[in-house]
Amino acid sequence: MTVDQRYCREREGNILSRTLGDIGLLYHRPSGQTHIVISPVPEILEAMEDDSPVSVGDLLQRLSRRFDLGPQETALPKIAAHLADMAALGLIRAVA
Amino acid sequence: MKHRVTLRIGPATFRIGSAWSGPIGELRRLYADYPAPSGGLADFTVRLEPAGLLRRWLRPSIFITGDHGLADAAPMSLAHSLLAAEMGMNLQMALGWRRHLLLHASSVEKDGRVLLMSGESGSGKSTLAAQLGERGWRLMGDEFALIDLAAGAVLPFPRLVSLKNRAIDVIAADVPAARMGPLLEGTAKGDIRHMRPRADAVARMDEGAPPALLLFPRFGHASAIRPMGQGETFMRLTQASTNYVALGEAAFAALGRFVDEVPAMAMDFPSGDEAIAMVERLWEERA
Repeated sequence: MTVDQRYCREREGNILSRTLGDIGLLYHRPSGQTHIVISPVPEILEAMEDDSPVSVGDLLQRLSRRFDLGPQETALPKIAAHLADMAALGLIRAVA
Repeated sequence: MKHRVTLRIGPATFRIGSAWSGPIGELRRLYADYPAPSGGLADFTVRLEPAGLLRRWLRPSIFITGDHGLADAAPMSLAHSLLAAEMGMNLQMALGWRRHLLLHASSVEKDGRVLLMSGESGSGKSTLAAQLGERGWRLMGDEFALIDLAAGAVLPFPRLVSLKNRAIDVIAADVPAARMGPLLEGTAKGDIRHMRPRADAVARMDEGAPPALLLFPRFGHASAIRPMGQGETFMRLTQASTNYVALGEAAFAALGRFVDEVPAMAMDFPSGDEAIAMVERLWEERA
């Protein structure tokens, strides 16, 4: 996990999403797995919607426009950890 | 197999073979009123075979085999052969059915809409469905509800209802003896007795209807009703489905739509009579 790592969304069409009440459902087509996600995963995916690779810092900036995420030094590692988990599930891709 | 019968239950056809005549005769009697299979290949084969070379005659024991099997299934006594046949059919459905999303739930229909009840074994879903089926509702199934992948309708699977322990006397009081199977004592699940659904439920077994309400009943607790959030409902139903993973994207779409459209509630109840009253009240409120 590093704050320098950049990520982009999975290829278009690889993930089907559906919102049910306060949860999000993501169907990952390549693996056939369904992921049930809650905040902040849907918000992170939404903030990455333009498909261009983003760093953890970029993402913090985008999210901070809509949410109060507290001091940067505590928010950055948390977002980095979320991104690493999401990449491990195949929901986003790490890019060099 | 020396003795055979082909049965159709809802959209599924089963070819059941047995080394003994007893279980086949019992199945023929209990499924006598079911519409005949349309011919062609059966969807599943169930075989009731002797557990060993001599076990056909000497303390006869049954092995259930078929297209889909469990490697470590324990042999059963010939006295429980009807249960073995029913378990064999359930197993084939649970492991092999792909045409619908299969939910481990009972279902009954009234006013052209379906009430589904999902829960663990012992939750009371099967007994409650059987009771409602004798009180103005159409019993669609006590074990599996089949959800149409495209339209979202619930399709019936009205196999014999498997009554366990205390439920046997409760239901037998309402139902003529001709619709009841033999009492199977001391099975791995306790005492079991099968019941054939009413003739109208059997005659309408090809007739689906849209789902209107989903309950998660729990027998043996003070009366309580709690609306269930969509996230919890979705999670519970993925666990209650035996083919959600196998169906992939089609199941994701069908189950998402089901949870989006059908209100769900957890219902605790202390007795069958109280449960029936609670269901009728809920149904009226939602009418």
